[in-house]
Amino acid sequence: MKYLLTIYSDESQWAQATPQDLQDMMSAYEAYTREITEAGVMLGGEGLSPSGTSTTVRVRGDEVLTSDGPFAETREQLGGYYLLDCRDVDEAIGWAARMPGARYGAIEVRPVMDYEAVGADGEIHSREVAR
Amino acid sequence: MKYLLLLYGDETRWENMSPEDSAEDMQRWSAFGEDLTASGAFVAGEGLAPTAAATTVRIKDGEVVHTDGPFAETREQLGGFYLLECPDLDAALGWAAKVPDLGESGSVEVRPVMDYEAAGYELPDAETHAG
Repeated sequence: MKYLLTIYSDESQWAQATPQDLQDMMSAYEAYTREITEAGVMLGGEGLSPSGTSTTVRVRGDEVLTSDGPFAETREQLGGYYLLDCRDVDEAIGWAARMPGARYGAIEVRPVMDYEAVGADGEIHSREVAR
Repeated sequence: MKYLLLLYGDETRWENMSPEDSAEDMQRWSAFGEDLTASGAFVAGEGLAPTAAATTVRIKDGEVVHTDGPFAETREQLGGFYLLECPDLDAALGWAAKVPDLGESGSVEVRPVMDYEAAGYELPDAETHAG
């Protein structure tokens, strides 16, 4: 079962951090990535540029509207993600709790949609089966 | 350059869709996925289970605290993502405008992935960046 772990933290704290703090944070993530890779659960992951670099795109009718900034203005911002292959949600939550970001922000754990379980013909028979 | 496209829409919309509309919708998403792959832009992508299936994990005073539900309660919810390789932001915005059918209130946030080397971090190898 695949789980998406999204990492939220107050990005302004990174703007104030010393180069040593940033390098320590990078080292902590490197160690974490090594650990999940060795455990065989790592499928992918990326760190993101700050939310100020986001552009949000909306299509209304035939018009494409773009605005600077992220979709949601939140106190903590999405800073990256991991995609993990875990036995169950408990294992995914366990990995979330070990992530460096869990100590200063929040990690959202969400199962990836299992489209085969909801109907390989593309028909969503029930949303409940994916939960 | 890699860009993350975050897809937001009102998730109740999918729950209220007829089976025929759902099947049609899935076909549009499949066709879009094929276009992305054929163009060489597709790196990764997942649809997510509804936000009711999310758990948010934090560490408070050394203790793991988890709460049911997503990190942010928003009117539209994150329903999936694409990770794309594009020559520039305009190309990524072009793909964002072609994302099928997120509903009347849908939007796509486009965010460049962090280039840690350009930002001056020392990385042991290219596979360990996240956070």
